[in-house]
Amino acid sequence: MIELDSVYGAFTLLSSDGNAWLYLLPGLLIGLVFGAMPGISITMAMAFALPATLYMDFLPAIIFLTAIYTGAGFGGSVPAVLMGIPGTSSAVATTFDGYPMARKGLHSEALGIALASSVIGCLASYAMLFVLIVPISGVVLKLGPLEMFAVAVWGMLLLGSLAGAHISRGILAGTFGVLLGTIGMNTAGFVRGTVGIPWLLDGVPQIPAMMGLLAASQLIGLINTTYLIEDESSRKISFAKILGGVRQCFRYPTIIFRGSLIGVIIGAIPGVGSSISNLLSYSETKRNAPDGDTFGEGNPKGVIAAEAANSSSEGGAMATMLALGIPGGGATAILLAAFAMHNIVGGPSFIAHNKDIVYAIMFSNFAQAILLFFVGLGFVYVAGYVVRVPLRFLIPSVLVVSTFGAYAIEGSSAGPITLWVFSVLGWGMVRYGYPVAAAVVGLLLGGLLEGNLLRTNQISGGDFIGYGLERPWALVIFALMIGSILLQIVSKRRRAKEAFLSTGSSS
Amino acid sequence: MSKTLTRRTILKVASGGLAASFAMPAILRAQGAYPDRPINIVVPFDTGGYNDRLARAFAPFLQEKLGQPLTIINRGGAGALLGHTFFLQQPDDGYTLLCTSAAPYLPLNILTQDAAFKLEDFYMVNLPSQDYTLMATSAGSDIQTVDDVISRLKADPGSLSVGLQPASADLVNFSILCAANEIDTNAVRVVTYDGGGPARNAVAGGVVDVGLVGGEGFLPLAEQIRPLMTFDTRKRDNWDGAIVTDVLGADADFVVGSQRGWGLHGSMQTSNPEVFQTLVSAIEAASKDPAAIEGLKNQQLATDWYGPEESNQMLARTAKVMEQYIDLLKGN
Repeated sequence: MIELDSVYGAFTLLSSDGNAWLYLLPGLLIGLVFGAMPGISITMAMAFALPATLYMDFLPAIIFLTAIYTGAGFGGSVPAVLMGIPGTSSAVATTFDGYPMARKGLHSEALGIALASSVIGCLASYAMLFVLIVPISGVVLKLGPLEMFAVAVWGMLLLGSLAGAHISRGILAGTFGVLLGTIGMNTAGFVRGTVGIPWLLDGVPQIPAMMGLLAASQLIGLINTTYLIEDESSRKISFAKILGGVRQCFRYPTIIFRGSLIGVIIGAIPGVGSSISNLLSYSETKRNAPDGDTFGEGNPKGVIAAEAANSSSEGGAMATMLALGIPGGGATAILLAAFAMHNIVGGPSFIAHNKDIVYAIMFSNFAQAILLFFVGLGFVYVAGYVVRVPLRFLIPSVLVVSTFGAYAIEGSSAGPITLWVFSVLGWGMVRYGYPVAAAVVGLLLGGLLEGNLLRTNQISGGDFIGYGLERPWALVIFALMIGSILLQIVSKRRRAKEAFLSTGSSS
Repeated sequence: MSKTLTRRTILKVASGGLAASFAMPAILRAQGAYPDRPINIVVPFDTGGYNDRLARAFAPFLQEKLGQPLTIINRGGAGALLGHTFFLQQPDDGYTLLCTSAAPYLPLNILTQDAAFKLEDFYMVNLPSQDYTLMATSAGSDIQTVDDVISRLKADPGSLSVGLQPASADLVNFSILCAANEIDTNAVRVVTYDGGGPARNAVAGGVVDVGLVGGEGFLPLAEQIRPLMTFDTRKRDNWDGAIVTDVLGADADFVVGSQRGWGLHGSMQTSNPEVFQTLVSAIEAASKDPAAIEGLKNQQLATDWYGPEESNQMLARTAKVMEQYIDLLKGN
């Protein structure tokens, strides 16, 4: 599967144009800064940079854009950890444990863990891409609505984990989120719940709604606190602790590997991508961890799971784009546009005729991941100073920046309006003990769930079981899902028994 | 303390910069010879689609003719309704142009979405891109020709699943084909997709048995599909398979696909006739510029010059046919 001639060609290509490497650092920095701004998505960061690449050669242009992609993928995690605001929708699961860690004064460790898992996840995904690009592309297009529905259901299992003390409230919040996710015109052309507001035809704007639910509700709840971290002595930014977090990450190779695998596979499916993969990886890790109950209270494993998956989705999305010429999401659509600007058309013929370029892109991404580690270290060190800002300055500033971000992403006042409506909603949910995160997951998955269930109904003519039996991949996904739940029940029983035995013997 | 000040300063500068960039157009309202400030192009779709690519690729050439920089504004959403409304809300002073899929979206907005505008509010200078419906199946499918599709659907309308977009020209064309062959459209397993891309992926992957989607978008997937029928009176993009007149006769009824290109405010003809003329000539000159033709062709984008008269007629004709099928387009 690896062709040495092309690999050699790739090295020649990369070493021939030294200028190409000059764009690596600015690309990463632009990505980090834009990704860290709440509301600025990876796609927007890349779209801003796209016109500049017109004046570059093909290879530098692609290296520049993919560097932004890599940088922005991690940048979104920085505010997720420090303030509980996911900078991009792919960092939602990072907030679940990263933010509690930061509140406990473990912000340096959390950022170190996030950075290291992102870098390893990114490296792992491109390494997998190296061997998987051809088989992945063969499978991806064959995934039908039932398979996508199965993936969405798998994501919904996370609701059980997010529910907290009252499982019924978790399910209620999740259902509410799904209902919100179905607002607008559905895939068959029906319009629901828009109450006559034209911009709701495309559904509730997801990113402003998510920012409102997760972030503003948290910040409003903090109004009587003076600093993010109560304990003054913990409010230090320590390089040693960041590096400690990096080391901590290496203790959980299984979590990283699982996260990367989920990330590559989910990332490769067009229209799903990193915003779903981080949720899936988090929920799988929580289910399989012996200390699963402490997830959500600042367990580093949660951060590792989320970050490994969202950064490795980049590799999966690139596989689909390179092998099929199909953009899996906004970011790869921009990359394809950049290809087109240089008169290169992606797709099967591209990969067959330009293996050296494909490998060159992969190798430059290895370099990006490694460089991201060093640039990221500096970036999180500086960003960490946020914890020293008194909340009376921080809360209004963040709300203002979020409002700008919400405007920027929607291009109209629909963004800020959504942000504020959902902030109030989120605050109310927190106040009355409903898990906000469950509503966010429902909102993110609602459209996917509904659209694919509807298409499954259309395609099968109503005969779900008969159609399901013809779809081996859907059966595999459902089997994996059920297996994972059973495994959890078995291991929980075993642990309970062990705990019972040990307490029994000691007393 | 100095650290918090630094952060605040940074925030202030950042927000100030943002505010300034939003306020810019209002400040630059001074009048002079047209054009004396940058011109906006409204694209009522998100980045990366055909119109966005067309606008971005054509802008450098048009900019050269007009002597002012062009800025592209993406206003996607609600089937272009939001972008079209936004465009009409801008003054008709020639500082806002439109690049859109005039058909089918303008008629759809008007017929099915109760848009607050009429077709005449828009003036199409040129619609170079004339898309068409292509019926295709996956390259590995056992369906070889459009006759296979028709005979199977005739025998059992539920035997094939058909992927398409709701409220589209493709749906209208499929219904015409079914009606001509006495196939009950309601009994066919029609699978609806949210966009042309997902529908084409489903065709290429064999998820649906056949699909009817805009043909130009199929070009990158050419190796993974088998074209069955082009809904046009001539062969397009060298696709194999039948053309509509082979199947439905010489006077075949069908709807053309997306007609994309450049539009202005209809009211400009009377309110700002000189500016209007300047813009029409500039778009014509840029469309005929050999460098532009070459550049856009390489990106599989169209620059053919049909002119305002023909463009507006084509759009009106499409709108009329679509009106006949309003029930289908309104859908469920």
